[in-house]
Amino acid sequence: MEFIYQNNFKMFLPEIFLALSVLILTVHGSFLTTSRIFNFPLLTKSFAHLSILVLALTSVLFFNNVIPFMLTYQNSFIFDPLSCNVKKILTITSLFCLYISIDSILKNVITSFEYFILLLCAILGLNLLISSYDLLSLYLALELQSLCLYVLASKKKSSFSSEAGLKYFFLGSFSSAVLLFGVSILYGCLGTTNFENFSLLLTFPYGQSLQALVPLLEKALVCIALAFFFKVGAAPFHMWAPDVYEGSPISSTIFFAIIPKIALFSIFLRFFQSIFLTFTDTFIFLLSTVSLLSVIVGSFGALQQKKLKRLLAYSSISHVGYLLLAFASNSLEATQALFFYLIIYTITSFCIWSIVLSLDNSQNKSKNKTLTDFTLIVSQNSLLGFTSFLAFFSLAGIPPLAGFFAKMEIFIFALGSSLFFLSFIAILSSIISCFFYIRLIKNVYFEKNHENFFIFPVSRSCSLILAISSFLLVFLFFDPILLLLLSQKLSLCLFF
Amino acid sequence: MLLIYEEYFYIFILFIVSFGLACIILGASYFFSVQRADTEKFSVYECGFNPYEDSRNKFEIRFFLIAILFLIFDLEAMFLFPWAVSLSQINSFGFWTMLDFLIELLIGYVYVWKIGALNWT
Repeated sequence: MEFIYQNNFKMFLPEIFLALSVLILTVHGSFLTTSRIFNFPLLTKSFAHLSILVLALTSVLFFNNVIPFMLTYQNSFIFDPLSCNVKKILTITSLFCLYISIDSILKNVITSFEYFILLLCAILGLNLLISSYDLLSLYLALELQSLCLYVLASKKKSSFSSEAGLKYFFLGSFSSAVLLFGVSILYGCLGTTNFENFSLLLTFPYGQSLQALVPLLEKALVCIALAFFFKVGAAPFHMWAPDVYEGSPISSTIFFAIIPKIALFSIFLRFFQSIFLTFTDTFIFLLSTVSLLSVIVGSFGALQQKKLKRLLAYSSISHVGYLLLAFASNSLEATQALFFYLIIYTITSFCIWSIVLSLDNSQNKSKNKTLTDFTLIVSQNSLLGFTSFLAFFSLAGIPPLAGFFAKMEIFIFALGSSLFFLSFIAILSSIISCFFYIRLIKNVYFEKNHENFFIFPVSRSCSLILAISSFLLVFLFFDPILLLLLSQKLSLCLFF
Repeated sequence: MLLIYEEYFYIFILFIVSFGLACIILGASYFFSVQRADTEKFSVYECGFNPYEDSRNKFEIRFFLIAILFLIFDLEAMFLFPWAVSLSQINSFGFWTMLDFLIELLIGYVYVWKIGALNWT
């Protein structure tokens, strides 16, 4: 037995580093905040910078990790180009995420250093989630990240924030219970929780004994898929998303909106690829129903929203719908389009959330933003106005911006897998969702303004991210080759 | 006898013995002790608030904090027992895994202690 465990720590070094630094930071923080000699110092700022340092070092470790194909810890974790590359993307994005939200964390009077420790724990959980290759490790990693996110949602000192945290906790633990139920049925049917064993058992033309289990297996897969839809916030299970986005402090909202989707999509693509090849019909029916509902609910729900965070929550629901459309197409090209869309959506979200962070003016200081806060920002900060113009047009999918290319790829490959009705509806609701993006741009450029206020200057971190992301939005339309190659590589891992 | 019965037979004996022993101890303490009831003795022990009252009352959150912390260390014992029983089969890797778990738990305990969650005042 012993030889199985040898040399395996080497692959886990970045995660071990992250976990160790979480422990060290915990001890450091708990001793320093309570020390009378230093007069009970507030550690928020130093912890923000320390956790950025930790994330930067972790991403350096990830980039220097050699990528082999390897299964460790009795096949419960996998290291292949997919998991390693997605981990790199995830660590870099969470680094940027923390970087843009430092100012708002300091402004929102989040005084506890635990905030950053929880954030790092969530990132650790997501990293473990990406490389998990067994339903047990998947469940544990998923719980690690979601428990941290529940606390992050309720860190603001207001009743809405507590409500958001509690709502997220109840619904999230319910979905985890559904996931566990599905896992237990799968284990009962097949006697294993390992993805490799699933694919070995199921992709082969199986015998009479498994044939009898097919209805039960389908139910188990529906349960697991439901948990997945809940976690990414797809339509019939989206109820938590607007409330949680609105209630939680904006730094946590940015984290919820951007980071977990990357990890969740990669791990569940892997899982469903390993098991669903036998259940293609059920699978496509399930995914296309949810995708249809998501795009419709996302685009129609966003029409009525006055608050910015709720609007962005609904917009993220519709974008999850497009991603699920690519998921339902179930081909190599469509999976590639999914990863491409995911990365471009992440870049666009960075742009939009940094705009939201820099909307502070003299009247709405540290309040939740509404759509009217966009009014005529172009008159005071024309570059910010132009950036929001780029971001919203890219989100709506207007050429010559990267969002157009991503959306077009998804629709083309969905049509290629003959999902005609679904892509027809998706294109129609994409047109509807254009309306509220363009309404925002109208607010930025043409609205009449009756109040006197001045916009605070954009913080340095936000302006850096805004510059990078808006450059990428234009650049990736004209030269998407690198990103296409990356997404091709990621999707090839799933199919071969 | 079927294999499953054979394996669980010892557990059944343990169950019978522990049930009987519990009954004897409880019964003996009921019959042989001196019982003088007063209100202090009948009140709920260390629970913070009465079990039967309006559920919208304010209550002390510290009881729950202590209970949660207690639960964490209770769970630790739950992990430790099977580990201790199977230590001969899981060799050094299993041993160090558990020590790692204990160290992390210890760090959590240090955090709880330093941050003052255990202080009652």
